[in-house]
Amino acid sequence: MSRNSKKPLAVSLATATCALLGTTTASPVIAQEEPVWEFNTALLYYGESDNRVEDISLNVLAQRNFVDDRILTLGLTVDSLTGATPYGAIPFDGPQTFTTPSGLQVRTTPANEIPLDDTFFDTRYAVRGSWQQPLGRMNTFSAGLSFSGEFDYKHLGANFKISHDFNKRNSTVSLALAVARDDLDPEGGAPVPLSAMLDVGDLCNRIGDVDKDVVDIVAGITQVVNRNLLFQVNYSFSNSSGYLNDPYKIISLVDSISGDPLPRIPTPGIAGPSHQYLFESRPDERTKHSLYVQTKYYMNGKVLDASYRFMTGDWDIDSHTLDLRYRWPLSGGNYLEPHFRYYTQSHAEFYRPSIDWWISAPILCFRRLSPRRIRCHHRWPQVRLGNRIRQ
Amino acid sequence: MRRSVIGSTMLCVTVILVSACSTMGVEAWERDILAKAEMQLPSDPLEAAIDDHIYFSKEASSGGRGFGGGGCGCN
Repeated sequence: MSRNSKKPLAVSLATATCALLGTTTASPVIAQEEPVWEFNTALLYYGESDNRVEDISLNVLAQRNFVDDRILTLGLTVDSLTGATPYGAIPFDGPQTFTTPSGLQVRTTPANEIPLDDTFFDTRYAVRGSWQQPLGRMNTFSAGLSFSGEFDYKHLGANFKISHDFNKRNSTVSLALAVARDDLDPEGGAPVPLSAMLDVGDLCNRIGDVDKDVVDIVAGITQVVNRNLLFQVNYSFSNSSGYLNDPYKIISLVDSISGDPLPRIPTPGIAGPSHQYLFESRPDERTKHSLYVQTKYYMNGKVLDASYRFMTGDWDIDSHTLDLRYRWPLSGGNYLEPHFRYYTQSHAEFYRPSIDWWISAPILCFRRLSPRRIRCHHRWPQVRLGNRIRQ
Repeated sequence: MRRSVIGSTMLCVTVILVSACSTMGVEAWERDILAKAEMQLPSDPLEAAIDDHIYFSKEASSGGRGFGGGGCGCN
């Protein structure tokens, strides 16, 4: 990552004009208030093993500081996503055939392999902008907009934040609100939850475009303890309503005795699924609560950054996240930052890896909502090498 | 039951923090270290946004230090 700032041409021209007119050039105070752009860029590669999801992401964050602590921030992200992603069906000791999300083709998974959809390919564009300014002497207000677009997904959001400093600016309380509207236009149309995967060309269980609404509220306090230590405590509330399913995920309907997927015979002359699969079904509303604490401690140039988050909600998913970073300065503005992250979660109350009876209660199969008490995310060791450049 | 426990915990934490905050802090001329870029929360907003979007796409949790951001995370 690198950060560069450039002195605007207008400032140089203004100084030159003042010199030509014989007037006094800008005073040191004005020089401090010169509007300047700062650019922060990042190129990310994210890859999973076994030819799963790969993401190449280009990120640009531009920030312009105006007089009186007013700040304009603009961000752009371009993601190129490829790879294979699980259908959600269970592995089986025989081949399994699936209809692709478009409903126009079939794919066959060999025996004893996790069924994967290898047609996954997408490009995501995301832009965001925000404006921040003081409100009085001790308050700060900011407002922003965000938009992202994918082949089958559109997001539009707005956010607002107000913060108040007190106790000689050693304490800050803040309240933030974000609202978003997401429109889904899945390939082939969004499936009716719990409807069956059908033969090629049969889209009678698709309901077309769907949407969801998301409201987030974050209330927090940041406190300076001493010259080397500060901490932050945040409470977050989030409510999502609408179509909350992953439209591409399915679940195997299995024999209650053998546990094998129930076979299915496609219509003669038409390709179709070899076994019985249902599209997943989740509740149409979700509420989340989380408590987040973070602290930073400065130790003779090194910085320890530690955070913990507990999240719970009405889907009965409880999660714990521990994040530790240790920034180690090197010469020339470089630094090393080992990063350790531990994440664990319980499963949703309606989670089933497969079903052996036909019920109408919400059922899902996607592993994102499955238990992770045993299989956790570990990011250790991860070392970041960084360098900040300022002109 | 769970909501009442969470609510009570939040209330206790808030009371403790607000009462403790008045005894903490530094004077204006002691902010040299706190003003460093690496002591900001977050120190690198771009990196934080990238990380949060990956976690949002792979886990059933989000939030805490900010908002989830846009995107379906259907992968």
